[in-house]
Amino acid sequence: MLKEKFPTLGWRRLLPHLSYTFAVEKVSRACSHQLVRHRVASFSQQSQRYITVKRLKERVVTPPTVDDMDAFRGLVMEASDAYQTLVDAGVPKEDARFVLPNATETSLLMTMTGSALFHFYGLRCCNRAQWEIRGLADAMLAQCRDAEPELFDNAGPYCYMLGYCPEGRFTCGGMEEAVERYTPGGRG
Amino acid sequence: MRLELVAHTPNVETMIATSMLTTTSGAQPGTLYDRLLNKPGKVKEIVGRAEVQHGNILEHNCLVWLLEATDGEVLEAALDTSFLKFTRLDENLWLLSGNLRTVVEYAQRKKTPLTDALAASAKNVAPDIRFLEEEER
Repeated sequence: MLKEKFPTLGWRRLLPHLSYTFAVEKVSRACSHQLVRHRVASFSQQSQRYITVKRLKERVVTPPTVDDMDAFRGLVMEASDAYQTLVDAGVPKEDARFVLPNATETSLLMTMTGSALFHFYGLRCCNRAQWEIRGLADAMLAQCRDAEPELFDNAGPYCYMLGYCPEGRFTCGGMEEAVERYTPGGRG
Repeated sequence: MRLELVAHTPNVETMIATSMLTTTSGAQPGTLYDRLLNKPGKVKEIVGRAEVQHGNILEHNCLVWLLEATDGEVLEAALDTSFLKFTRLDENLWLLSGNLRTVVEYAQRKKTPLTDALAASAKNVAPDIRFLEEEER
């Protein structure tokens, strides 16, 4: 819409004035902790001070690398029992939540400018990003590309946007594959 | 100084209500937004309860204006608040953007022709946000 009003103004100059709001649902608290490190953004997150966590065992995010499901589920069950015991004993929810794991699901509204979003994709679509936030970044990018392909076909991990990997000695070594994956019409 | 609103986020008050309910209800934000979209009365009632202390609820939107102003006027505004974004289009012509929280807090802190114009313009977008009323500023 803004581009139509100012057709001669390049995308890069418009980016700070563009705004995108996402409903981010059922991610782990570990993921939301990473999200809020992107400071040039706005967040409204489900509050554990006001919302009682019910049926925790059904509302956790399980990493795909967890082989010993019994150990993982057992600890979640213990946390769930401890949380409920505390709430039942009259401990305020804001204090009972201290026993909840990082795996606990959460949902939030997140708003970023176009500039902040390009930086977010640069970092979080990278192969070195943690799997959950990388999956979220990929899903967000897919929606942005549907909405504004002319702009967001240029977005992706920094190696895709810059033409080189800025990660230095931490590089994944997979730049060629990443660039191909994010190139429209690539392997997707 | 002349200010003209050229674009804004759609359904600004629905988004504010969604943001308010997201923090305090167990429902998913996408579901809340969809439910509220066709309930203007409910949205009006919810945003009427908003407290400006929880400023983040006013941040999920963006208003974009064309601003005719001198370098001095823009410098003053840029020094007053770091959350307004300016892009120069011509000698005295600027693209200006910000969210409702920025407008509300700036207008409450300082009364100038620019803050008056920003608040009046934002009032058209979010008529039920009482912080934009003259008596609340």
